[in-house]
This record gives sequence, C-alpha cells and structure tokens, in this order.
Amino acid sequence: MIASLRAESVKTRKRWANWILFGILLLTLLLLGYVLTYVLLSNPPPNFRSQVPARILKREVFPENLIPNVLAFSSTIGAAIMIILGGLSTASEYGWLTVQTILIQKPSRTAVLLGKLAMLAIVTLLISVVTLAATALTSYLLVTIDGTSSNWPSTTVLLKGFGALWLAFAVWTAFGMFLGVAFRSTAAAIGGGLTYLFVGEALLGQLLRNTEGVKEVLRFLPGVNAGAVNASFHLTFRSPDTATQLVDATRGTITLVAYLVAFTVLALLIFRRRDVGGS
Amino acid sequence: MGLAQGLAVETRGLTKRYRTGVLAVADLNLQVRTGEVYGFLGPNGAGKTTTLRMLSGLLRPTSGSATVAGGVPGSPGSLARMGAMVETPAFYPYLSGRDNLRVVARYAGVPASRIEPVLQLVDLTDRARHKFRTYSTGMKQRLGVAAALLKEPELLILDEPTSGLDPQGTVEMRELIKELRHGGRTVLLSSHLLNEVELTCDRVGVIAKGKLVAEGTVDELRARSGGRALLVRATPVDQARRLLQSLLLPGQIQVRDGVFSLAVEPSQAAGINRRLVADGVDVSELRVSEQSLEDVFLQLTEQAPTLPAPASGGGEKP
Repeated sequence: MIASLRAESVKTRKRWANWILFGILLLTLLLLGYVLTYVLLSNPPPNFRSQVPARILKREVFPENLIPNVLAFSSTIGAAIMIILGGLSTASEYGWLTVQTILIQKPSRTAVLLGKLAMLAIVTLLISVVTLAATALTSYLLVTIDGTSSNWPSTTVLLKGFGALWLAFAVWTAFGMFLGVAFRSTAAAIGGGLTYLFVGEALLGQLLRNTEGVKEVLRFLPGVNAGAVNASFHLTFRSPDTATQLVDATRGTITLVAYLVAFTVLALLIFRRRDVGGS
Repeated sequence: MGLAQGLAVETRGLTKRYRTGVLAVADLNLQVRTGEVYGFLGPNGAGKTTTLRMLSGLLRPTSGSATVAGGVPGSPGSLARMGAMVETPAFYPYLSGRDNLRVVARYAGVPASRIEPVLQLVDLTDRARHKFRTYSTGMKQRLGVAAALLKEPELLILDEPTSGLDPQGTVEMRELIKELRHGGRTVLLSSHLLNEVELTCDRVGVIAKGKLVAEGTVDELRARSGGRALLVRATPVDQARRLLQSLLLPGQIQVRDGVFSLAVEPSQAAGINRRLVADGVDVSELRVSEQSLEDVFLQLTEQAPTLPAPASGGGEKP
C-alpha cells in the first residue's frame, strides 16, 4: 500500500485537473460565499426583502459564523467538486488504460486501491485545512473592512467543524471514486454522481422532504445526513430558511461514516474481482 | 516451481470465455523455456492478447491454470519477476516519460536510479522530459519497453512491440529485443508478423481461433508442414500434369500460377526432369524450395478448427 501511495503522490501532485478543481472550490467559496455576499448585504438593493435585516444577515461571513457558512457551501459546490475529484482519480485509469500498467507491477489489487484511497484521504484533509484557513482569513479581512467586531468560534467548535468538513468531503470523494470503479468511465462517473447530488438529493430531497414514506427513505441519504451534521453548527442569528432536519447530528455522523466504509468496501470488491481488458 | 527448473511460463488447459459468450482462448497448453525468446504467433483476434492478459493476472481464466515466473499469474511473487507490455503502452498523458517511469518504479518498489539506465537503453533520454501525450507511436512503444524493464525482470512479455512502428523503428525494436535476451532473460513475444518472429525467436507457438495449433522451432514447423518442395515450371501444363500424376500420388502435387509444387525428396529432381523432357514437355525451371514460415502459418491457421459456439446461458465465471 505504501508503494501505491508513493506512486499516487506523483500522479496527484502533477495532475493539473486536481489543482483546477481545488481552485474552483476556493474561488467560488471565497468570491460567492464571502466577498459577493458581503458586498450585496452591505449595500442591499432597494427591493431587498428579508425577515432578518441585511446588517444582521451579513454577519454570516464574519468569523463567528465561520463553521456553519463553510459547511453550508461545502455541501453543494464542495460535494460536487469532491465527486469529480474521486471520479477522476479512478475512472481516468480505465480511460487511459493505465489500470493495466499499474496492475502488472508488484502490488496486489487491494494494495493498489488502498494506496489510492489513502492518497484521496490526504488530499481531502489538505483541502479541508486550506479551505478552512482561507475562509477564516477572508472572514477576518471582511470584518476588519466592515469595522465591526466578531468572535472566533471556540476551539471545540472549530475542531468539530473541521471534522465535519473533512468527513463530508471524504464521503463525496469516496462516492465519486466508487462510481469511477463501477462505471470505468469518467463521463459516467461524474455525470452519475452530479445527477444524484443535484437531482436525487437536492431537488427530490427538498420537494419530498415532508412526504410520509419518502421521508423514511430520505433519512438514509448521505446528503440529508451531511445536512443534519452541518445544521448542528448554528448561525449566530436565526435564519428564516432553516429547514427541519430529518435526523440528528449523531445519527448523521454515523451514517456518513457507514457510507464511507460502504463505498470503500464496494469499490474494493469490484476492483479486486473484475477482469481488466478484453470484451 | 520456478524459472530455475526450466519453464518460465507453463499453462495447463488455459481457457477464457468472455461474458459475451466469445471463447477467446481454448484449452491452451503452452510451455516457454527459461532463457529463450518465444514467439507467440497468430492472426489478429486469435487470442494472443487474451492469453497474455491472463498470464499477467489482468484476466481470470474461465478454466485451467498457469505458472508464470514461478508463481500464480497476478500474484506479487510472479509480478515481481516479470515485466510486461500488454496490448498498448498505457501511461499518464499529463506526465513526462520520466515521471511516468517514476510512477511505475514506485508501484514496483524499484529505486529511482533504475530510470535513467532504462531510458538510455530504449534511446529515450532526450525526450524523457516531454509529456507522454506528445510522443510518437514508436516513442510510446519504447517507453512501454522501458517500463517493463524497470524491474530487471527474468521474464519479459511483449505484446506486438513493433505494432504501429515505421520500418526504421521496427528494425530498432528487433535489435533491442535481441539485446534484451542477454543474461538469460526469457522473452515471450507476441506478434502477427511472421518475419519478426522468424528473425528474433528461438521457438514459436502458433495460435489460431484460441487454440495452439503448433509449437516448435521455425525449422521444425517448416518440416512438420511439408518442409522442402520441388518447384517445376513446365509447358504445356496439362501434359506435364498428366505425366506427374502418373508418377506421384495426388497429395504430392500442387499447382499454383502454372508452377508445380511437388512434395518429393530433392534427390528425385533429376529423374522427374528426365521423364518430363522425354515426354516432350519443356522444363523452364526446376528448383528445390524451402517452405517459408508464411506458408506454414497460413497452412496452420487455415486448418485450425472453428471453436464451438458458446453454450446457451454460458458465460464467464464470476
């Protein structure tokens, strides 16, 4: 597994697509989630209507709300980027046929895939660290520009929030990685993953959230559980669009860990057993 | 069982039926001796690449077994002692040639110091810093060979290494393969190019429609398929045919483009010539011909039995 991890480090570092994805994540988070939100709420348009005044709403981008704001953003754009990252890491190997170059070297198939998973775990950890650091810096700059004061979250909240961010990123990356192994096609893995995220989870999850029967099924979806974990980190003001959570944060965390294990085990089973090449 | 015991590759009833029902390889019994260059010859679609994939552990056989470099195909023990380039050289397009070898070396647990020597061996040092996606077909093939050599393998499996190369590249690759056998290395070379096999291999296995139809040295295969023949160009052809039919058995006579090919010993040439001339037939050419490997190949592959159709509901084992 160590040999595979060392090989993965070269591939991951030198692949521009990975850096571009990370750049898109940071740019959208910082520009849309922070800078643009602050500018709009500092100078609200005349037709701006909200139950919460704009001067309160804009505190969303200040240090006191660092964790809930980052988690909210990461569950949409962040999840999509992580699915693409995971999908690319495995499906590309089939597209380029490099999977057969890898598999005729020394490590076993299990070691090869575990090395890839370990690399993805490290990548998601680093992305979580940099994302949190960049948003913290941005929120500090914005509150400084605003001329007001804001408290940083406690160390406990920061650590828990970081854990929640890493777990969510890891689950979506593992989902993309699993789809890449299952479909052996980059387009199918990414297309399937994003369709599930935006149609299955976001659209149907919202529309049918209060439908009996369906609600029971929704309780088991990774996005719904990630949302429950995120919701346990409260904004410092009561947001009018806060949805009722279907599960609590503890169950959400357990379910996400179960998904992480399930995607990993399923990918391993398929990768170990399936023929490479041929018709 | 290992390489020291004489066989680098041994297959026993190796069979592969794909999920689609296609029987690609059927009951293949192959023996590649340690230290030899073995040519695995067959037309396109004969089952060569499927066999090599099974030997590399990429495909699971439907039935049968194999020992490759002393181990089960695909096991770390077997893979550590073999290097392979199967079907096409597959590398990361966004990495340079050198970085691709770095990745392969890390997977194989080989020190990075091996990279420069193999680049030099395949004459790719000057282009090693360029991205793989910019490489020509020949350069890709050479990088594939370099990757296969990183482990300094005892067994080297090369699948159609001259495929897509220009004549100059083909000659260079053949020279390289001849160099690679030094030091007792075993080379299993698959090809559909007869000339290539004839020039580089000690022994040849001919596969057709998934079955091994012949195995031996090039000379042995020639002999098995009739060996030498006496070629006679004579006119009028009909009169010559009638006379020859009275002298020889029907199976000994073939006519192609007005030239008789007679399956007889060369010592009979003078007697046959005398009889033809005495009968008023003009003999303009009379010579002994060595049967080419091409003739042997065509004869063997055309004679290969068609594989049975897939059984209904049959498929690849899970």
